[in-house]
Amino acid sequence: MNSTNNVENIIEVLKNNFELIKTETPIKNQIAIEINEQDFQTVLSFIKNEGWRQLTLITCIDWIKENKYELAYTFMNWENSVTMVVRVKIDREEPEFKTITNLYPGAKFYERDIHEFFGVKFEGNKTSEKPLFLELWDDMPPMKKDFDPLEYSKRKYPDREYKVDFKTGEGETNG
Amino acid sequence: MAKELKLYLGPNHPGMHGNFSVHMYVEGDKIIKTRPLPGMLHRGFEKLMERRLWMNNLALIPRICVPEPDINEMVYAMGIEALGNIEVPERAHWIRMIILELARISSHLMSLGGIGGPTGLYTGPNWAIADRDLILDIFEEITGARVYHMYIVPGGVRKDLPEGIEKKIIEYLDYLENRMPEYEELILKNPMIQKRTKDEIMLPEEVVWELGVTGIGMRSATGKPYDIRKVDPYARYDQVEFDVPTATYSDAYTRLSIKYQEILQSIRILRQVIDKMPEGEVRARISRGSALRWKVPAGQVYSHIECTRGEYGYYMVSDGGDKPYRIAVRGASYPQGLLGVEKYLPGHRIEDAAIWLDTMGVCAPEIDR
Repeated sequence: MNSTNNVENIIEVLKNNFELIKTETPIKNQIAIEINEQDFQTVLSFIKNEGWRQLTLITCIDWIKENKYELAYTFMNWENSVTMVVRVKIDREEPEFKTITNLYPGAKFYERDIHEFFGVKFEGNKTSEKPLFLELWDDMPPMKKDFDPLEYSKRKYPDREYKVDFKTGEGETNG
Repeated sequence: MAKELKLYLGPNHPGMHGNFSVHMYVEGDKIIKTRPLPGMLHRGFEKLMERRLWMNNLALIPRICVPEPDINEMVYAMGIEALGNIEVPERAHWIRMIILELARISSHLMSLGGIGGPTGLYTGPNWAIADRDLILDIFEEITGARVYHMYIVPGGVRKDLPEGIEKKIIEYLDYLENRMPEYEELILKNPMIQKRTKDEIMLPEEVVWELGVTGIGMRSATGKPYDIRKVDPYARYDQVEFDVPTATYSDAYTRLSIKYQEILQSIRILRQVIDKMPEGEVRARISRGSALRWKVPAGQVYSHIECTRGEYGYYMVSDGGDKPYRIAVRGASYPQGLLGVEKYLPGHRIEDAAIWLDTMGVCAPEIDR
């Protein structure tokens, strides 16, 4: 009943404390905010103190036309059941960002995942640049929009020419 | 002095769910250090989804999770409905709950019986797989497929329930309810299982918050009913009565018995759904013309539901086109399967590693995607 008020109150509090580029409420019980890169750590420590104790997902979106990466951090507050998505845009050419493992230790592997698939470097997370899912990967990070898997597989595994002569061998019957 | 050795657990091991490997450095029978090695089931789902139409993806996404594929269809449909502001017909919500709860029972049966793998109690998996097969029969009748149903679609469900299926579901539930005490005798009251799981493989509350563990692990450690069906209800879970089993002492045995109790709750939900289900339409049109020309309005949304292992979600981004711009999958076992294995598996004994993976709910395909 009061969940809509709840969400509005939270947005109000966030607006008073920080400079928000964009706020959205895509569905019930969900808030998405877009913030500046320099405010990121303060916003995260703020929302962690406010009850968003669980890191649900970190993901990256490649906006190739804007030449930007967007990092989306999803947090869950089980007390008031509101999901918070914190989004931040970073440079696409030299993608670098600060780790959040100091606040949410669970981020360690999500950051490694994003480094592998998008090439974003996370300063402060020592293991983030190790390979995780892709063994012996030798091309650009594969989730970038300009990576074409079809072209890659054609190049990596070229078609081989071969001839097949169909002959009825011994022991086979026709029809 | 004991010598440190390297030991591989998986990818093929009776206690392993899917192809997932753990490299263990052991001293005697004690694990000193572990390294999770995922990636053997990486099929590039997220990239594939970006290159297929919204409609085409329906056939692809159930493959992300093998024992419980319907959760993928549900979060995908919920995401599209949120972005496109689509109203789902009332009956479709209730049919979706039938499918989700049946899938939940079948997945729980598999993992409850599956404890027989790492402990050597092979009657468990044999019974459980046979009982799960009866659910697959029901699925086959409703959807035409046994494992991957592609039944929950954006805007509702693919088609209405066949006639008389309610009776068959009730019959199965009666059968399973009579059968459950036998599982209790076989698994939960078994002295061997109790010896291996009681007071072993603890999951303290701090670790839950540190890793981000959800589902049974979280509820068994915190003692709070943190279930998305209760906390942020989807479909019509707010209109049925059910309890969320919790505990404050999370050893392997507690987590196992919560699985057992959750099956009983799912049976309770299913009975109410069949009672209360209204008649009517089951599918709303999400756009005009052919389904191959579906377009979803631009936007970003995170949709999540409760699966047997915890919170399962998709982060969906649309640019208004006929293909998804980006979909990120939040597998429920990601936190405990990677960081959990690396940080909290050491210190246990070798034979407990498989029970650790089993009762924490580690499912390889949703980690690898």
